[in-house]
Amino acid sequence: MTQAEIKLCSLLLQEHFGEIVEKIGVHLIKTGSQPLRVIVHDTGTSLDQVKKALCVLIQHNLVIYQVHKRGVVEYEAQCSRVLRMLRFPRYIYTTKALYGDTGELIVEELLLNGKMTMSAVVKKVADRLTDTMEDGKTMDYAEVSNTFVQLADTRFVQRCPMVHAPENSDTGPPPPAPSLVVNEKDMYLVPKLSLIGKGKRRRSSDEDAAGEPKAKKPKRTTDNKEPTPDDGIYWQTNLDRFHQHFRDQAIVNAVANRMDQTSSEIVRAMLRMSEVTTSSDAPFTQPLSSNEIFRSLPVGYNISKQVLDQYLTLLADDPLEFVGKSGDSGGGMYVINFHKALASLATATLESVIQERFGSRCARIFRLVLQKKHLEQKQVEDFAMIPAKEAKDMLYKMLSENFISLQEIPKTPDHAPSRTFYLYTVNVLSAARMLLHRCYKSVTNLIERRQFETKENKRLLEKSQRVEAIIASVQATGAEEAQLQEIEEMITAPERQQLETLKRNVNKLDASEIQVDETIFLLESYIESTMKKQ
Amino acid sequence: MAGNKGRGRAAYTFNIEAVGFGRGEKLPDVVLKPPPLFPDTDYKPVPLKTGESEDYMLALKQELRETMKRKPYFIEKSEEKPDIERYSKKYMQVYKEEWIPDWRRLPREMMPRKKCRKAGPKLKNAKGTDKGSSLINTADILKKIEELEKRGEGEKSDEENEETEGSKEKNKDGDDDNDDDNAEQEDYDEEEQEEENDYINSYFEDGDDFGADSDDNMDEATY
Repeated sequence: MTQAEIKLCSLLLQEHFGEIVEKIGVHLIKTGSQPLRVIVHDTGTSLDQVKKALCVLIQHNLVIYQVHKRGVVEYEAQCSRVLRMLRFPRYIYTTKALYGDTGELIVEELLLNGKMTMSAVVKKVADRLTDTMEDGKTMDYAEVSNTFVQLADTRFVQRCPMVHAPENSDTGPPPPAPSLVVNEKDMYLVPKLSLIGKGKRRRSSDEDAAGEPKAKKPKRTTDNKEPTPDDGIYWQTNLDRFHQHFRDQAIVNAVANRMDQTSSEIVRAMLRMSEVTTSSDAPFTQPLSSNEIFRSLPVGYNISKQVLDQYLTLLADDPLEFVGKSGDSGGGMYVINFHKALASLATATLESVIQERFGSRCARIFRLVLQKKHLEQKQVEDFAMIPAKEAKDMLYKMLSENFISLQEIPKTPDHAPSRTFYLYTVNVLSAARMLLHRCYKSVTNLIERRQFETKENKRLLEKSQRVEAIIASVQATGAEEAQLQEIEEMITAPERQQLETLKRNVNKLDASEIQVDETIFLLESYIESTMKKQ
Repeated sequence: MAGNKGRGRAAYTFNIEAVGFGRGEKLPDVVLKPPPLFPDTDYKPVPLKTGESEDYMLALKQELRETMKRKPYFIEKSEEKPDIERYSKKYMQVYKEEWIPDWRRLPREMMPRKKCRKAGPKLKNAKGTDKGSSLINTADILKKIEELEKRGEGEKSDEENEETEGSKEKNKDGDDDNDDDNAEQEDYDEEEQEEENDYINSYFEDGDDFGADSDDNMDEATY
């Protein structure tokens, strides 16, 4: 865990769960697994607060616990899981694209609450959907549970490890912590529930206006009292499955950009066929025969078997090797090479970063070194056809930024510079690591800047919130137009301008965070797949 | 070559021409200060992607951030009382829904001690209501007795009486049991903490000192 990652985790935890949880979480990330008493002592936080914070972290799958010898429970932070909070909007948006509003809300609820029982999710989502519908219409529980079943079937949601009840419970006192077991068979098995009913409408819009006075606290606890049939079966989002989907999407897009729409459709069909048969971390898909691919092409996509074979040969001949040929039986067997695909995508990312940071001539040198593997300085100058002095300058610049590395090969054992070859090479893995690290730093900076901007304008923001609340409440009582205008004028023109600037800045910073995370995802997947291969 | 440069001038162990400096060319100055915090970039960054999906994700992100603050998981610091009670504060207050963690999934030590007593009867009541109808069901009662026996507190005679007395008494007893347990736990905790505190304190004091030392060293190194 690098400093940049720890800092980012700290900011994310603070934004989502408050300062106390952040303190405990960061402490655990820094120190590794620790028992409760040590955490309390080291952080100087009261026992109750530490407990609360740990409960929150465990609920959100950010901390796991383990019973050690002598019955001490140790808590360990899942750092990579904390960083995933950055990607929440993308998970939600993806589900919306695949399963519509219902799917979107299901995943959103699961992400917001960490883990939930299916019945709780269905109820909450149905209520929320009913809220957005026009009067008189309600959302049926059955419809929501159908979407939930779909999500489980396609493995976007999965069961949390179950509490393993010890069978012979007459052996001494109960254990200090429940043991959680994963049942592979039941991971995606939805409990048979007969959820009948409809979403209930909330009385007022008590959630979307924080500043609004609320007369009554919604008493939702009452209907929680009755035990549900799926009590104890908790669900969470399967982030690996989402990542698999993102990866497949990136491959399809890359093929579409490199060749054409048709070839990308073929690759998409191949990916869809192997979605279930291939595990998300396998380096290849299962071999698929061209006949199988032909049959599973989307209907209405009119290409003949011959054209398909031509496309497949073309794809297999492509130097990037997204698609490989693994045999000749069944009209030719083809696989998709995930590792190669991710490597190409990561390399392309590196190239484009260099192009945007150092210009196209530097990118030319970078590509040259990448292609020729090892080059001496003189060779770089000659091959790149750039004047020696400029080429040197560019090469050194990239060297100092760690995009290019230098390999010394001494002719004599004394390492004398005059008798040493200096070879420039690109180590894609280490360059990707370096870039990933910079991405984490960038996101950290973006968040800090955003917090600074909001803090600077805190007074103004509060004022505008207050005014909005007043307008909303006055409007509800049916006020005149003139009256409303008068209230609106409480915010002066320059203030309004300042608010708009602030909003624009914050939007830009937020959008950048999301888009940097896309690069983070790509680089992480590449590094992970390379590490697995070794 | 060294004679060429004269005394006192840095003599390089390698041929400078190999790095690209001609004979007699001036070498760049030595940099003695850190690079600027916000360096000028040679190239302007490309604009961000925009589009429907980007806008939607942006909205999602901002909404998510706001929602998270209103969730019960967001633990705020107990802030000190402001000197002036603001009227508007009353309207700014956010009501959070309650959150009762599923204690079955958490280590036992996570249970807050005070709350346990408060939450205890609540939970029991919940059970009581659904058991109320099935009280006649002797299997349940037998189970309960077995459970109590396991605790082995030597209260068997009491429990036997309970069997006939109904659920109310039992609930109370159960609570008492809990309390006892807790009291025990507390004692035990305190003892251990006392023992180990000494050790830990001294250990960490040393650690601090060490940290300070190493800091100093680092400072020296940079100068």
